[in-house]
Amino acid sequence: MRPEIQEYNFDWMLHKSMHIAFDSLKGSKKEYKYMLNYMPYFKGLMDLLGKYDEPGILFVEMVKDAVDEIVFAHDQGKKICMTTFCLSPIVLLAMDVVPVVMEPLTVLPTILWKRGTYDFMNYCFEVGLSETSCSSQRGALGAYLAGLCEPIDFVVFDSGGVCDTNANVFAFSSSFMNKPLFQLDYPASFLDKKTQEYQRKDFRELILFLESQTGKKLDLDQLRKGLEETHKQDLIISQIDELQMLKPNPLPPIFNLFMYAGRFLATSKPGYTKMLESMLKTVRNNADQGKSGLQSGKEKCRALFCYIDHYSSDARMWNFLDDHGIAHLGSILSRFFPDHAPYLQDDDINSGYHIKLDTLDDMIDSLAEINARSPMVKSIRGPYDTPYMWLEDALAFARLYQADCIVYSGTPGCRNTWGMVKPFARDTEKHGFPTHIMYSDAFDERVESFETTSLRLAEFFRVRQLI
Amino acid sequence: MMNLIKQAAFDLHNDSITQWKQQNQPVIGYTCSQVPVELFYAGGILPVRLRGVGVQGLDIADAYYGPFICSFPKAILQSMAEKKLTHLDGAVIADGCDSMRRLDECWRRASDDYSHMNLPFFHYMNIPRKVSDHAKEWFIYETQKLQTALNDHFNISITLESIQKAIQTYNSSRKLIKKIESLRKTNPPKISGSDAFCVSLAAESMAPETFQKQATDFLEHISNRSTEIPDGPRIMISGSAYDDIHLIQTIESAGANVVGENVCFGPSHQMNTVSEIQPPLEALMTHYLLECPCPRMFGRFDHRLTLIKEKIQNVRARGVVLQNIRFCDLHASENGLLEKELEKEGIPCIRLEREYGSQTDTGRLRMRIDAFLERIS
Repeated sequence: MRPEIQEYNFDWMLHKSMHIAFDSLKGSKKEYKYMLNYMPYFKGLMDLLGKYDEPGILFVEMVKDAVDEIVFAHDQGKKICMTTFCLSPIVLLAMDVVPVVMEPLTVLPTILWKRGTYDFMNYCFEVGLSETSCSSQRGALGAYLAGLCEPIDFVVFDSGGVCDTNANVFAFSSSFMNKPLFQLDYPASFLDKKTQEYQRKDFRELILFLESQTGKKLDLDQLRKGLEETHKQDLIISQIDELQMLKPNPLPPIFNLFMYAGRFLATSKPGYTKMLESMLKTVRNNADQGKSGLQSGKEKCRALFCYIDHYSSDARMWNFLDDHGIAHLGSILSRFFPDHAPYLQDDDINSGYHIKLDTLDDMIDSLAEINARSPMVKSIRGPYDTPYMWLEDALAFARLYQADCIVYSGTPGCRNTWGMVKPFARDTEKHGFPTHIMYSDAFDERVESFETTSLRLAEFFRVRQLI
Repeated sequence: MMNLIKQAAFDLHNDSITQWKQQNQPVIGYTCSQVPVELFYAGGILPVRLRGVGVQGLDIADAYYGPFICSFPKAILQSMAEKKLTHLDGAVIADGCDSMRRLDECWRRASDDYSHMNLPFFHYMNIPRKVSDHAKEWFIYETQKLQTALNDHFNISITLESIQKAIQTYNSSRKLIKKIESLRKTNPPKISGSDAFCVSLAAESMAPETFQKQATDFLEHISNRSTEIPDGPRIMISGSAYDDIHLIQTIESAGANVVGENVCFGPSHQMNTVSEIQPPLEALMTHYLLECPCPRMFGRFDHRLTLIKEKIQNVRARGVVLQNIRFCDLHASENGLLEKELEKEGIPCIRLEREYGSQTDTGRLRMRIDAFLERIS
């Protein structure tokens, strides 16, 4: 790694970036506009956040607070856990453990810094991790492996049985940094009793691991409080989800990112609730006026992102959607499957989780059930065309949200989806949904420039007569 | 002497399989070294490891698989599409890794376009990636599920007694492989790496009785033979699935002797016998789950490092070739860790990335191997 990259800690730079962004957005309009002159590389992103006023500011504040927690965790006597986006952080937060979630920490500098996280990605390869590993972790991971962050205390992941490249990154990191490791492992099946039993036993072992690492017992009151707040957040998300079904979709495209970033970084935290409430207000206002969430106010096409989004520098993907009149109907990252979710129909309502608070056992079971429905954990653990898996989910969302098309965006590191995305797309096409496979890397523009990605996307929308 | 064995090592459809089929007995292909083969044999079914040796291109496989996928499962799919595996009556796809587990869907979808790929028996086996008590239970549960599926489909009765007998039969093969492997320990070895590896490969593609007869004859022949193997640096190969002898030949033609492998074909999975004392299903679980040296078993790097160090010591290897198929992240990353640890202990290593199949990248591989041998000679 180049010496100048090692001058400042990665998490500290991120902490500073977030504070500057927050202070800029909190300033007067005049100050903010003046500040934009000094942000040549991420003016688009700032503008995107700024134009939504309160929800944008609350999003930045929520992320800023999450990064602050990481930077000051050890000063406050808290343990730091390296983990992944698909592990629900509720149990960690309830045990006063600070989660360092690799994927959002890769996304932030990718959209915020001119050079993205290329140097850190490269460093992973320098120390032995395969360069074909998923870029979603490698961006932040390189900094952790290089010791350019507040040190990790232990590693927890839940992608065993779900995504090998994800799981492998955490197993590698644990061995490389010589830190204790725990994995939740998932069977390929989903709702049957045997599977649920497996998940519950696995989750109880996770709690034992966390207790051994922190030297604390799981605090019943703190856990109850966290789950109550999560339930509150779920109810708001369900309302937003329902409003997204309207035509035109009143949800601004970037709100999807706000929603899942909060889920990964701040589930059960009041800051996330506040942001969701503010988002709901905006979306409701749009809906009341029959207005699209797009800046132009004109919805030409409704696109379901069946996997993840594309995190180009300066968040150009969302601006692309906005500019072309394409409503974003959410992705695999933005659906969490509580039993009251509007996309769970009467006949599959039991496939959603229900938060129970009566006893400690109930609460632990609820945590296990929530986690079993995390993005990716729920829908790509088994063959894609079996019940409750990726195809069934994608088709249900596409129908319910009246999608005009389906877009796959991922990373070349995603062995799991690249193993079957072609047959998957063939199936979705058969069901009447034009489907576009993006060959770019959602976190690394060196694989394909955003200019090329957006040209190909625009070509798809034009050729399939979607806009 | 080696004809049948070499044929089984190189050809997807060999004489031993033909003989088996002539007795009207079914053959099932399986994808992963964690599938308990004894179960099939206990029901009068011949298990053969699915491989893709000999494919010349991946055009059909590429129509189903995406571009960023390991070429090993692609080669299996291609072989199937090219009618090279017509002897199969069924297949078991295990979720060994993400690339391999998606063979399930790609194969099923390809069957819509190539009707001969539509096998009467097709089963997906889910194997845990950890070794907790509930994971052990899960492995046994999946084994029983497979047992029931086989019983129902082939109208057979796989019993605990027949599994026990199958364990004994396969253990006999394992003991023979161990004997053959011991011939590699001398300096110079009494058998070339490519011949020894052929024997191990054949064991996974032949009926065990036929294999045992061939291997016994071969052992007898080789014990009476005076040493013909020239002396050279002793090399061990480790890493991704490897089922052709081309890399071994490339190393040996450069003047070295390949004295051991730690890959998911061959001795590393076949030398340890399955317990004949434990109840049969538990014994299978212990062997195939707990003793599995594949990096898919997350969080067990230390266990694997200990195993590989023991093996290096055992075969007295002077250097290790850590190879991986492109897009095999599990082995590629593990190789990064192994290189660091082994080099720290003075064991020279080279990391090689390759594609699955023989004759690919020969020049590039040879150049790197020459350079490595220069380093350790």
